[in-house]
Amino acid sequence: MTADPTALGIPEDAMRRLAEMRPGQATTLFTSDLSVNEFLLVREAGFRPLGLVLGSSIYHVGFQMGRWSSNQELTTLSQAMYHARELAMTRMEAEADQLGADGIVGVRLEIEFKEFGSDLAEFIAVGTAVSADEPQTPDGQSWRNNRDQPFTSDLSGQDFWTLIQAGYAPLGMVMGTCVYHVAHQRFWQAMGNIGQNVELPQFTEALYDARELAMSRMQAEAEQLAAEGIVGVQLLSLGHRWGGHTTEFFAIGTAVRPLRADHVIAKPQLVLPLTDS
Amino acid sequence: MAEWDGRGLPPVAAERMARFARSGLRTSLLTVPGAVGVQSVGFDPIGEVMGCIVEHIGWSGFGGCGYVGGIVGIGGFSGFGLGGPTVTSSGSRGFVGFGPYVDALYHGYGTALERMTEEAAAMDADGVVGVRLSVSQLGGGNREFVALGTAVRARSRHRPGRVFTTDLAGQDVAKLVQAGWAPCAVIYGISVAVRHDDWATQRQASWGAGNTEVAGYTELVMHVRADARHCFDQRVRAAGADGAIVSSMGLQIGEIEPSEGHRDHVAESTVFGTALVSFHRGPTAPTRSLTILPLR
Repeated sequence: MTADPTALGIPEDAMRRLAEMRPGQATTLFTSDLSVNEFLLVREAGFRPLGLVLGSSIYHVGFQMGRWSSNQELTTLSQAMYHARELAMTRMEAEADQLGADGIVGVRLEIEFKEFGSDLAEFIAVGTAVSADEPQTPDGQSWRNNRDQPFTSDLSGQDFWTLIQAGYAPLGMVMGTCVYHVAHQRFWQAMGNIGQNVELPQFTEALYDARELAMSRMQAEAEQLAAEGIVGVQLLSLGHRWGGHTTEFFAIGTAVRPLRADHVIAKPQLVLPLTDS
Repeated sequence: MAEWDGRGLPPVAAERMARFARSGLRTSLLTVPGAVGVQSVGFDPIGEVMGCIVEHIGWSGFGGCGYVGGIVGIGGFSGFGLGGPTVTSSGSRGFVGFGPYVDALYHGYGTALERMTEEAAAMDADGVVGVRLSVSQLGGGNREFVALGTAVRARSRHRPGRVFTTDLAGQDVAKLVQAGWAPCAVIYGISVAVRHDDWATQRQASWGAGNTEVAGYTELVMHVRADARHCFDQRVRAAGADGAIVSSMGLQIGEIEPSEGHRDHVAESTVFGTALVSFHRGPTAPTRSLTILPLR
């Protein structure tokens, strides 16, 4: 170790503070869902956690059958996914608004289909509401987005810190979803493929269609926020409980805007870790 | 050997403490990075500590949803339209809900943690790091609660007054202490809520309902989680801490049918975390991160 902790006084100060604690004394209390790394990096980026915020909704997803041999988007199911996620997110944002937050970081958006009932799923959005130490961004604007809502971001603490260092501010999470039914092959088509190395054009087109729809909807949300770009994008295909031919294509990312004209990141140091993990 | 009466530590644990005091052997449940982490901020691991209790939960509460004769809230004294139809374990008890079950869970976790800290205090430790809390069903309504951790002692002239506990790993404790935060206690909030499935809920949850939010179930999970978070916040405040990091949140929902055509849903929510106090002087964080690119 390069520095002796006792010389820096660390355990002394910590022990003294613990000894001073009085149960029930008045403090500015915060709770946080962040991991320790995220908690410390968010502090370093100039934000302080206010509280854990959560929004959830148990949603009944309507029934829709896809036609056996056609590629189509199942719009009822797509709308269900949108509506339910929106309910969860707006409730989470409302909690953050009540705390007077500038933004919500470390957002986890999860779906869990329930064993009871029929087609019931719980949509839950959890994050940590934060407020900035400086009330305005370096270019003199508010940290909130153009809808005057606290910004949301699913970036990890490390990614969030790097983003702020590079001169970008998050605006909000943007997502696009498309539930698509891929056509089944007709019998003679399937027989004709046996033993052949061949592209299946209708499957290719179906998957292209579905992913492009999801991504363009995500882009449209980012345009509404007047963003310059989207970072940390995940493109997921989720089967949920609908069987092999119906899949939800889900694109999610964080829309960002620049805080300054140049975007210089400090050159990282190269190190060789002497541990396996 | 006389039968142990449940107070203090069992005879075999007291013997282990006595043997520990005589020998100079230092044991630990920390991983190598964890041990190096705590040592780098001036804590020495001294021994592994454990607390456990086997508890029989015979009485879970009346378990009712408060729905009597078509009017919600009659059976519970918190009803009469003042609360919602969801009955949480923190509300007034009456003949509804699962208050005694939650009390039993609190007692189980609390006793396990208490016995663990008693062992740590017997070793002259200042804190316990890397606490793992677990509960396992032994059948017949019996549950075993176990708390395991590594006791550490600070290289400091000041003693903290109470043994601090944290469920964070050694490396995380090191990061926090370097940044001017000290962990003080493992905190948990538990809540169980029950809600009757009324007509509107049954209609919204049936297979032909189309796309709709099921307001009744949403209300149940929102209330039970809010109650668990509220209990968690209250306990952090009661400990006198500055804040808390939540390490896990759990939710389980199940169905019960107390009688023909009468269906309730029960939800159990838990929140576990560590309470923190800050001891750094300035308003901004004292650490400066270094960006590194590992050559691997």
